[in-house]
Amino acid sequence: MPEPRPQGRIVKGYIMPGMPHVMLPRESASRAELRNACHAAGAGVREARPDVLVIFSTQWVSVLGHLVQARANPTGLHVDENWYDIGNLPYDFRTDLELAHRTIELGTAAGLQVRPVDYEGFPVDTGTLVALSFLNPKNEIPVVCISCNIYSGRDEEMKLGKAAADAVRALGRRAVAIASSGLSGHYFTREITDDEDRIVSETDDALNRRLLDLIAAGKSAEAMDLVPEYAAKTGADMQFKSYYWLMGALGSDGAKGKVLGYGSIWGSGAAVIEFSA
Amino acid sequence: MAGKGSIVCGFIAPHPPHLVYGENPPQNIPRSSGGWEVLRWAYDNCREKIKQLKPDVIIVHTPHWMTLVGHHVTRVPRLKGLSVDPIFPHLFRYNFDTAIDVELADAVYDEARAEGLIARKMTNPNFRLDYGTIVTSHMLNPGWDIPILSLSANNSPYYFSLGVGIEEMYKLGRATRRAIEKTGRRAVLAASNTLSHFHFDREPDPNLPEDMSKEHVFSHANYLWDMRVLRLMREGRMDELLQVLPEFIEKTGAEVKSGGLFWMLAAMGFPKVPARVHGYWSVIATGNAVVEWDLSAEANGAGANLHA
Repeated sequence: MPEPRPQGRIVKGYIMPGMPHVMLPRESASRAELRNACHAAGAGVREARPDVLVIFSTQWVSVLGHLVQARANPTGLHVDENWYDIGNLPYDFRTDLELAHRTIELGTAAGLQVRPVDYEGFPVDTGTLVALSFLNPKNEIPVVCISCNIYSGRDEEMKLGKAAADAVRALGRRAVAIASSGLSGHYFTREITDDEDRIVSETDDALNRRLLDLIAAGKSAEAMDLVPEYAAKTGADMQFKSYYWLMGALGSDGAKGKVLGYGSIWGSGAAVIEFSA
Repeated sequence: MAGKGSIVCGFIAPHPPHLVYGENPPQNIPRSSGGWEVLRWAYDNCREKIKQLKPDVIIVHTPHWMTLVGHHVTRVPRLKGLSVDPIFPHLFRYNFDTAIDVELADAVYDEARAEGLIARKMTNPNFRLDYGTIVTSHMLNPGWDIPILSLSANNSPYYFSLGVGIEEMYKLGRATRRAIEKTGRRAVLAASNTLSHFHFDREPDPNLPEDMSKEHVFSHANYLWDMRVLRLMREGRMDELLQVLPEFIEKTGAEVKSGGLFWMLAAMGFPKVPARVHGYWSVIATGNAVVEWDLSAEANGAGANLHA
């Protein structure tokens, strides 16, 4: 574990797509933009020299509160239940256990149900692994993985994000916060070729862009206010609640996002967004 | 396989991992002091029945393999691994090892496509079976000496509408039946789902999940709904059952929505024989029933009437 530093803080934040298609070497134009943006985010993380990556994934769905990975060295081979033909996702990363437990402690103190999971073979989700493949390809940086509760809303997720940020500060870590999430969630329900891929509807595309414009303008409060309507109309990935978590972690005031890339994955919306805290 | 295949039995076979946990089989790592006996005893009856019927295959439709593009079938000869429940890892960490009926998988795939459905074969040998398939398969046949076939739950009832989802499941049910007949299988079907599905949002005591003094149905209203649909099943009132299921789903969040029951009833030709309810109880407040439709010739006489 790295030496604690006196001025712990989250130095950067990212929203990253969680669908494995961005990892494929073959490409549609849209996915090429997203994949290049994912690599740019990886470069941004290296430049930030973090002690830890704190990652909230919409594909790690929990039902009874939130879960936090508390296994020192999760290892295994993940196969996505939908996209098993794309390939296996082997993993072998280190957890910042001290930060994981402090996040649980502070989240619990904030009135949330937050529990550790420390089990051999516990399934690590596709979204986490896709993000890590770009941001931590050599698994050099310790990680804290956090689940997405199916029932929680803005208040709970912001509290959980703040708990993670407070834990980072308390332990003097230099951290990057990552929300692994798609945007609009409508998708093609049939087989498509890579070249056919596009956002499935103009409405979804327009709403994605409206939300991204607010985020890019630093209007995070307005963006969060828009999320319920946005999510209802676009079937957004887990109601886009990962954004609440990220704003809770970064502090929503002045969290200005830079959109590194935007495009479609199997008809759904995806973006890579960088936040400099 | 010789002769025309048939469906010999269908079960509603719910999959709370608590049932495996309560039983303490060697495959599961966590240990318990028991719990949920009424449902486990209900499954004992089914195990006995399956032994008598000597089926070639158990086909499980599972809501915990949710697929976005079409209906998927497991299509590798053997699947093996450790399944850790993502929601209840403290009580379900199960070493599974099962044969898959790949010939039947191919046939279901072909017939599903013939129905106009989108279908896919899951051919990745590293695929981790979902806990719905594992719990249901274990509770019906803990020796795992009968091949299984796992069918995914397509997301259509949630993505489009319940009506679209039901239509898809009727097609998949017909396809499954034809596949069974063409391959000559004696098949047991399992719809892996609960009835009412509202649940506690906190475990009463995570350190003692089997504390039965804390177990109860979510609400009296949900309980009454569960009893209403079970009564229709027990009395063989299939038309009324099909009519009431959408409202049941709406009122109780029933996991039936994921499609397994509709699939199974369609595959069985919407039988009007009375179903046998082996047991009902709650698990973390959800309503669970083990229900059997016996379609074997022994039970109904050769040429028993089924209503398509």
